Amino acid sequence: MELFSHAKGGYKSVLDPRTKLLMLIAINVAVMGTGFQGTDYFVRVVCAVIPFVLFLLIRKVRTALIYAGVCAVMLFVEGVLIPSTSGILNLVIVITSGAFSRILIGFAFAYYAMCSTTVSEFATAMKRVHIPDQITIPLSVMFRFFPTLSEESRSIRNAMRMRGIRLGGKKGGLLAQMEYRIVPLMMSTLRIGDELSAASLTKGLEAGKPRTHICQIHMTALDWLLILIGLGLLGYMFFLR
Amino acid sequence: MITLKNISFQYKNTDALGRERKTRGLEDLTLSVQKGEFVVLAGDSGCGKTTITRLINGLVPHYYEGDVSGEVSVAGIDVQKADIGVLSAHVGSVFQNPRSQFFNVDTTSEMAFVSENLCVEPDTIRQSILRVVQDMRMENLVNRSIFALSGGEKQKVACASVAVAEPDIMVLDEPSSNLDAAGIEDLKNTLSLWKAKGKTVVIAEHRLYYLTALLDRLIILKNGRIEAQFSGKEVRSMTDEAAYAMGLRSFHKVEIAPSLVDTGAEASEALICRGFAFRYKNTDLTLCFPELRFPRGRITAVIGRNGAGKSTFARLLCGLERRGRGEVSFAGRLWNRKLRSELCYMIMQDVNHQLFTESVLDEVILSMPAAGMNDERESKARGILRQLDLEDLADVHPMALSGGQKQRVAIASGAACESPVLLFDEPTSGLDLNHMRQVADILRMLRGEGKTVIVITHDTELVREVADHVIDFDLETTQTNVLSKGV
Repeated sequence: MELFSHAKGGYKSVLDPRTKLLMLIAINVAVMGTGFQGTDYFVRVVCAVIPFVLFLLIRKVRTALIYAGVCAVMLFVEGVLIPSTSGILNLVIVITSGAFSRILIGFAFAYYAMCSTTVSEFATAMKRVHIPDQITIPLSVMFRFFPTLSEESRSIRNAMRMRGIRLGGKKGGLLAQMEYRIVPLMMSTLRIGDELSAASLTKGLEAGKPRTHICQIHMTALDWLLILIGLGLLGYMFFLR
Repeated sequence: MITLKNISFQYKNTDALGRERKTRGLEDLTLSVQKGEFVVLAGDSGCGKTTITRLINGLVPHYYEGDVSGEVSVAGIDVQKADIGVLSAHVGSVFQNPRSQFFNVDTTSEMAFVSENLCVEPDTIRQSILRVVQDMRMENLVNRSIFALSGGEKQKVACASVAVAEPDIMVLDEPSSNLDAAGIEDLKNTLSLWKAKGKTVVIAEHRLYYLTALLDRLIILKNGRIEAQFSGKEVRSMTDEAAYAMGLRSFHKVEIAPSLVDTGAEASEALICRGFAFRYKNTDLTLCFPELRFPRGRITAVIGRNGAGKSTFARLLCGLERRGRGEVSFAGRLWNRKLRSELCYMIMQDVNHQLFTESVLDEVILSMPAAGMNDERESKARGILRQLDLEDLADVHPMALSGGQKQRVAIASGAACESPVLLFDEPTSGLDLNHMRQVADILRMLRGEGKTVIVITHDTELVREVADHVIDFDLETTQTNVLSKGV
């Protein structure tokens, strides 16, 4: 059954989707809520390292290196620049880098989760933890929604450029230009969504109906390690801090 | 296997002004299809052929709502009373748009999807997938991301994903619309496989040539009624003239006359593209076009299989691609990348991406050079709309128009920006004979105005109709490392 192993396909799922979900929550809670000193700073470094290792595991080396570079700068700013500056300069750095760094790590992990999970793995995992279909089905559509959105958005951007409409260009006001961008995007996503629902219905997708799964998900040692880290992060955030 | 008895159906929808309106789908139509029969439904857009496919797979009336009367029975199930999920075990559906028929993001899960929903044992599903993959010889398409596939590959996966659950009935709605000749050949192979297995196949389609050898019955619809029926034998003995007289596309594969295929080298004046080169992101695949000439004031068709670089070339020519090289000369001067948006205007395959404003008139005015009086621009815009038969629609929202009307609006805005070169990307994909001829008329009209027209197309009938020159990209381009693609 070589066809069903993920080793040779574009998708290499290293972690169980349940682990990913827990880590996504834990990392975001930790990164959003910690400051830049002492143990808090150590926690941030741990959080920053996790997506880097995971990117390497799914062989997204380029992404991993870019992410590592940005993270290193960010952690340097937080760990070294912020304590050694004061006054308005300090405030400016804290606000800009703080806003950015709080989002970056969570975003990187979410990106990893999106590109390493298939819809059916996700649906299987949700079933195992008894999440109802009414929540699982819309969430699984998100997996194809974002790539579709970016494909559509690229075509619209090309069409606009051809007609000499650029954000901040001469034609139309800024508001009108944003409208030109968003209206066709909404229309085409609506249409795709509509056609997709029709296709799914003919394929027998129905909420609340039992279904089987061909993909096998199981917890590995790495999963348990990350779950431990995730629980540790949450424990630190809610009880120790 | 399938019985439609005195079926009438009207879609409920809203018109451009938001009023409720009913459009006719079918009118008192009676049709029965035997087990193992291969039936092709043909006719103009809006003749009701899609509605018949939707009645068979249950989307009418369960998803597309409207007034239905009469009886529909499919594999012994009363479609109107039964749950649509029950039908999925008996009817497999393939749709027109390869972008919007996959629930999953990877091919293997999609192939398993129908069976999973039917609660088939995972091991049985795996075996069925293996069998279908072998039957259709698509080992290279297993475990791939849907977003990395070409249109033809997507359609092949769509066929495979309905075949895994082994339904008795296959329903296809214009499956060839977005495919090139090779993709259609693949689709034809899949269909003959199904026919050999004794599946009942119902297919609504404009392009007929690839079905002629397979079909048992051709049904021609008009205004929601059956106008004529022919047996396979009758169809195979018919000429193209007979097809055209009935408003249908050719029954045979239209070949392009070899005399048309040239490089336009003799033309005294031409749009000349020299040294175009482009390297695809994240691959070693490079495209090179040493020299291409498009005679000025003529219609040049660009043909070639999917992946031959036609769309990439179009984006390069229009200056939409930053990572490419190459120079363009036209009318005695060189045009650099930034200037090219004034030189060329492309009407995209999916015109929905190209219409931004709130009314047809605004759409045309938006394309005009910003200088000049408002009144002057408006009267000029109205003039262009009149030429394209759109004047009555000047105040309508572009998104409320039909596909053909939207395309004409996109053409009108191209005409308004006064670019001397107009590019069309697959302007006739999914069009019936009449609409294809309408597009051909517009292309000729633009040529009459002295525009240099470039048409990228798979539609050999359109090429035969309008092209002055044909450039075959399979011959013109050199691709290096072709094999590295898709690995």
